Amino acid sequence: MQVTGMLHGAKLLHFAGFPTSEVLGPDASEEEIKGLIDRHGSVFVKPVFKGGVGKKGKAGLLGRAFDLRTALREKERLYFVEHRHGNAVAKANGVTFEGAVPAEHEVYFSISDSTRFRAPTMTLTHRGGIDIEELDKSEVAQVPFDPLTGLKAFVVANALSELNAPKALISPLVQQLPKLWELYHGFGMTTVELNPIRMRPDRNGRLTPVACDFKCGFDRDDPRWQRLGLPGHLFSVDYSDFEAEINQLRTYQGQSDVCIINASGTILAPTFGGGANSLVTEMLGDDAIISSDFGGNPPYEKMKEVARICFKHWLKQANVLFIIGGKSNNTDIFETFRAMADALREHVGRHGPTPLYIVAGRGGPNLIRGMGALRDTAEALGLPYRLFGFDSDMSEVVAYARKADQWMKQGGREAVARALTIGEPPRTDLKQAAE
Amino acid sequence: MHRHSVGSFKYHVGIGSLDRIATREDRVCVLNILGGESSDVTPVGHAYSGGNVVFGTSPGRSGQVLETPLGGIPVYNNVREGLEAGHRFNCGVVYLPPSGARDGVAELIRVNPDLRKIFIVTEKLSVHDSREIRALGQQNGVDIFGGNSLGVADSYHQVRIGGALGGDDPGEALRPGSIAIFSNSGNFTTTIATYLRMSGWGTTTLISSGKDVYIQYAAPEFAFALANDARSKAAVLYVEPGGYYEQDAHFTKPVVACVVGRWKSRLTRAVGHAGAMAGGDDDAAAKERWFMEKLGVAGLFTPDNPVVSAKGAVVTNIAHIPAALTAVMRENGARPDFAPESSLALKPWFGSSAGLTLPAELDLPVVEAVAPYGEQIARLDRQIGVVLPRQAMKDASGASQMDPKTQVTSLHGVSMLEAARLPMEANLVLALLREPASENDRALVNAAIAAEVNLHGRPELAAAQAAREAGNAPNMVLAAAASLVGPRRAETARRLCRLLTDRFAEARLGSALDEGFDLGRIAPDAELSGLLVGPEPDPRAEALLAALEARGARSVFLRYLLSLDGHPTRDAVLAAIATTLAWGPLMRKRISRLTAESLPWWLQLFGTLLGAALPAAAHGPDSLCGVPNADLLARRTLGEIGCLALLGREGQPDDVFVFETLIGLLLSNGPGTISAQGCKGAVSADGPESPERVHLNKAMIGFLTHAGYTHGGNGYEGIAFLIEQFRDANLADPADPDHGIDLKALADRTVADYARYKSDRKTLGSLDIQKIPGVNHPVFKDKAVNHDPRELWIHDLLAARGDYNAFHAYYRTLVQSLFEAGVSRTVYCVNIDAVIAALLLKMLWRPYRDGSLSGGALETAAFTIFLFARMLGCAADADDHINRGRNMDTRTPASQCRFVA
Repeated sequence: MQVTGMLHGAKLLHFAGFPTSEVLGPDASEEEIKGLIDRHGSVFVKPVFKGGVGKKGKAGLLGRAFDLRTALREKERLYFVEHRHGNAVAKANGVTFEGAVPAEHEVYFSISDSTRFRAPTMTLTHRGGIDIEELDKSEVAQVPFDPLTGLKAFVVANALSELNAPKALISPLVQQLPKLWELYHGFGMTTVELNPIRMRPDRNGRLTPVACDFKCGFDRDDPRWQRLGLPGHLFSVDYSDFEAEINQLRTYQGQSDVCIINASGTILAPTFGGGANSLVTEMLGDDAIISSDFGGNPPYEKMKEVARICFKHWLKQANVLFIIGGKSNNTDIFETFRAMADALREHVGRHGPTPLYIVAGRGGPNLIRGMGALRDTAEALGLPYRLFGFDSDMSEVVAYARKADQWMKQGGREAVARALTIGEPPRTDLKQAAE
Repeated sequence: MHRHSVGSFKYHVGIGSLDRIATREDRVCVLNILGGESSDVTPVGHAYSGGNVVFGTSPGRSGQVLETPLGGIPVYNNVREGLEAGHRFNCGVVYLPPSGARDGVAELIRVNPDLRKIFIVTEKLSVHDSREIRALGQQNGVDIFGGNSLGVADSYHQVRIGGALGGDDPGEALRPGSIAIFSNSGNFTTTIATYLRMSGWGTTTLISSGKDVYIQYAAPEFAFALANDARSKAAVLYVEPGGYYEQDAHFTKPVVACVVGRWKSRLTRAVGHAGAMAGGDDDAAAKERWFMEKLGVAGLFTPDNPVVSAKGAVVTNIAHIPAALTAVMRENGARPDFAPESSLALKPWFGSSAGLTLPAELDLPVVEAVAPYGEQIARLDRQIGVVLPRQAMKDASGASQMDPKTQVTSLHGVSMLEAARLPMEANLVLALLREPASENDRALVNAAIAAEVNLHGRPELAAAQAAREAGNAPNMVLAAAASLVGPRRAETARRLCRLLTDRFAEARLGSALDEGFDLGRIAPDAELSGLLVGPEPDPRAEALLAALEARGARSVFLRYLLSLDGHPTRDAVLAAIATTLAWGPLMRKRISRLTAESLPWWLQLFGTLLGAALPAAAHGPDSLCGVPNADLLARRTLGEIGCLALLGREGQPDDVFVFETLIGLLLSNGPGTISAQGCKGAVSADGPESPERVHLNKAMIGFLTHAGYTHGGNGYEGIAFLIEQFRDANLADPADPDHGIDLKALADRTVADYARYKSDRKTLGSLDIQKIPGVNHPVFKDKAVNHDPRELWIHDLLAARGDYNAFHAYYRTLVQSLFEAGVSRTVYCVNIDAVIAALLLKMLWRPYRDGSLSGGALETAAFTIFLFARMLGCAADADDHINRGRNMDTRTPASQCRFVA
């Protein structure tokens, strides 16, 4: 859940009363753009991506225009531009026009929670405008501070002194930067970054920090961001229909975290526990359809609903239903297994039999009753299965599931399907016999 | 304000050694102690730790106690109240929801100066609250564990605090030894302890650190406390990506680090553990590198490439931890704490190949599980039949379901359209045993019901006849008979079913048809034998046995019955039939024992209801409607018997076909129908939580009293309409396609009459215009040409069979004419009611035409066939309700009832 760029960033900064460059959105009229150029001498044209996309400048995705014609040409070039950064490919949808801010100094500023200091930490340098990683450590101040008192002016002042920042910068930054703590702490952010903040001189030469780019991340476990009234579509790109459906069940009682790994995978693996999730996701690789953590002792109804959604989206293509977790501490195995077994039975009841190999590995409270419920369902549905206790090497259980998947791919699926058809009631024969 | 800190940390750490993390002296206060998770987990931890929880809080519940094996733990509204009551504690456990956890921490710190440690179990804490919790703990010198921690445990001290490490039997995982565990995963803390124990390594202190962005008690502090714990010779760390905690940890004792999550760098967001996001220079690869540098190893340990040093090893798979640890400790001259308890080899506790030939690597044999699980599995195997969880079953059913989109109802997953193709006895088996019937099942059912149909000389017949003569509709006639088939009638057979099931399950009978089953394996049971056979021959039992033999029915139970000295009783034969039918579904846990034991009663009821539909005169001492009893028992199918009971004469094969098709179509319309509600209400009122007290005949009466002229009897509307239309058409045989009647002209005339009627009503200003029965449907409308898919299905079925039905053809013409004449805006569908009317009238047309069947009798027949079908569907719903429902669960709360003035 990230917001980048000034289109929305400027609005967020206005909440904190932090000065920003003047920004127009993709729907700006030609008159408005012309006015912006007239006021600021030039404009920057930047593509709008959903979520966080870095290194746009380096990729040549930053346009600058001194006249309307160039501005419109840049708009055309960047409006739907594609940007590849690492593994991620993003497609723009719109541009912003940002008034240029003349300045001598550019400042980098961010707040995030540092696991080194185990405290909120300010990162600050007056040599901003470039990648922070490119600077020598002595040119960057990283200062943890007390979250109960917040980012105070003296913290900023001390840091700037230690950096030997030009005197003209200190006072305006000391006045303005602490405001960003309110934004960060009060609206559920996990990181906020302004780079560059351009120090604009007024008529008397006094400098004002003006945010010219913005990036922030929100904590999905913190509802405070909802106070900002950001448009929902900003984050919608993150979720598939399946994930969105599961996410509706997200409460603190029982996990319901999912992520699609491979929409054409063949192992459907409801996984229990963050640890099991890491192990299983790693070992199954692209065979896995989803990566999930449904641990945390979900109640029966929630587990059944989660399983119902999983089956609705993926069971048809799955070769192996692989239910896996370590030896649970408090997740009730009877409740969770019974819920999944019932959901499976109902799914098959509604959509007909599907060839499937069931593999489970688990330990915890009410283990045998839970496995019994799963066994009974597998038996009733006529499906092959193996259920392993916690005394089997979990990685070997994962390997077993993969072998089952391989076998299914190499003709096993058809064999199971044939067995299911044979197992179907010979209804027509019965009827004929009756006649 | 800072308390004394240990070590040279830049922040406060109060715990100097691992053996001080969870001690027998620690006293605990649990916030939200009565919450769902705590109330499960706290009593177990309390008992394991010798009673370490002094009190808990739960606002508004002061005065309550949380029961534990060591007595109740008092509950107060808040921490201050508990302290004022004289309790003292040094550890706080937070089980509050995420929005309240920070306030809980503040409360613990502010009101209790003795506080030293806090354990936060809460998951999904916001980073905002975590950072404030960190600051609160630091300012006040309190060590905090979590959030998202499953607490800590100490195998030596036998203490666990703040969570559920070790699950519901901590002793099973926590055996004292020399290894400390620090894990980002709560589940894996216990799993690793279990793996270690199996390999001969016991544990000292176990810490589930949680894996939020803020890990309050993290690896550096753990490393420090490890160094100072004389009991711990080495440690296992389970580490996920994200955070620099491990980088700053300085270990002085051997460590096996399990670093996972390399693959996670491909994910775009955290799943499960909020802090476990990869991507930066704190990803899994970086962490592997940190540990390799710290431990002085050049690579990862795997069984094939066991890279270790005396300082430790790095693995990426938790299953490799025990081997890596043993290898590392060997470098240090240390041997395992005790002999390995087991191996980590693959051990399926349950398995089946479902009759498939699997490759050897998949076809692993099931092994006996370790104690105590092996015994639990054996106990589970001894449990016969399914036990369904109880819940409120108002408007709900585990038997029938109507799909609101297609309007097609299904019973135990079989749609009514499919059921229409099944013989009636197969639908009976489906309704009660939840599975399709085998040929043997059908033979058993046919004989058992046939033996009940002739009611000659029985009080049921007298009651039914009296009810009929008093002017009752067929539903009440049948109800009168049903009321006499009370629980005492089925008592002995029910008991026999129970005893037979027990004895044969003990003898591990697989298939009830197993010809080779050794009857010598059945333990002698005087009670059972005494009930199965009597000193004198029972003619009814003998007739039924002869019929079963004639039908070639097989049954281990019948074989057993016949092997006994003496003469089988009538109840014994019925119980043997019922147990044979139920055995497979029972063993497959499709049905409960209760359902199996109810089967004889249901069979008696169905037979009685079919018989009671016929007037008393039809029942003779040796025959029913002229069909000899022996013939009924030995040869007739249930469909033929039903047809006989409906028509009062033997049906032709075509009649039986139509009859069975209608039975299938009418089986059920889901739990919302009035008839289903009637039988479910009857069950609910008896109280399904004491299922032996639920009277099945009353459930049938409930259904029968909830059928009537508009629900069940309305099939006649369509018939009456068709009779009206065909009154002067001189139709001789509706099955003959060459009937010589111009259906188009007939339909046009109907449409003209209807258009006139409609116009007249409108002229009179009335909007109360009667509709033509059998056309149009509230769901299947709005297309240019509409079809009821059920009607299409039946039409195609009959067409494929070469059947012609003039009434059905007329209906199809009629909807076209209505459209052509502008009476309907679209071509209406012919609905399923029309199909039923057309099928029924076709069957009864000849006797109606030749005067042997009156109009009244026609209406009775239309109603009766509905009752015959629905008695099966309602029995399925009643049985389901008995198995799943709660007492009085169909009542509507007063708040949802309306008063209408």
